[in-house]
Amino acid sequence: MINSFLDSGSMPVLERLVQFTSQRHKVLVNNIANLSTPYYKPTDLSPQDFQATLRRAIDQRRQSADRSLAPLQMQDTDELSFEQGRTVAKPRPSNDGLLYHDQNNRDLERTMQRLAENTLAHNAGIELIRSEFRTMEMAVRERI
Amino acid sequence: MFGSLDISTSGLVAQRTRLEVISANLANKDAILDAKGNYAPFRRRIAVFSQGDPATGKNQGVHVSRIDKDPAPFRKAYEPGHPYADAQGYVSYPNVEPAIETINAMEAMRAYEANITAAEATKSMLSSSLRLLA
Repeated sequence: MINSFLDSGSMPVLERLVQFTSQRHKVLVNNIANLSTPYYKPTDLSPQDFQATLRRAIDQRRQSADRSLAPLQMQDTDELSFEQGRTVAKPRPSNDGLLYHDQNNRDLERTMQRLAENTLAHNAGIELIRSEFRTMEMAVRERI
Repeated sequence: MFGSLDISTSGLVAQRTRLEVISANLANKDAILDAKGNYAPFRRRIAVFSQGDPATGKNQGVHVSRIDKDPAPFRKAYEPGHPYADAQGYVSYPNVEPAIETINAMEAMRAYEANITAAEATKSMLSSSLRLLA
């Protein structure tokens, strides 16, 4: 009973979201640490690609026989491999933007913007998981 | 997630080391004698960054791999009466340019602050994750 609550509905989706934001956070933090490293190429994980994969997985689950009770099947992308219970990221270096004289194409403003967005997405995901838990707690305690 | 804090900290350590090198350059901008009192004008030092963090053994993060000496020529000043003047009456002073050092110091400070901001973001994410347990 508990398992079907945790492994169905929005819980696996939120779990993948939080795994992705954690991985992307690490990548962005690494870019900031290497702001003045010569020959460093900033890397990133595409949230668009992740969301497209997630959307496909949710659509697929909806069309299956037992609807949202079926497990969420995420398709691996070039950057992300979705393993049981964790997401492994292989960020790719970007060649966008201006190449500075130290052969580093840093973009501090964009990086900080992405960091802020990613933090917000992560906190939103966690907040939604919390509300799921609160719902379960209400059911367990039989009160509103 | 705790790995993200390691990465930010490695950035903080590297930028602070760079700032220390810059401070040493500025402090020695007129030092023409070495520690033993011999004539050897101070050469400007440059902190060289590399990817990876030997402290955690990971390839993420940053560290100061070398502190090189700037091979640029010394600043010459015409002071014929100076005890260390050469045959033409010139004294070599360190190749430290205060304006360049100041700009580098500002850049290092901004990069340090960027790492602080990143660490704050990590902390906010971690604390919201940890609140799931409470």
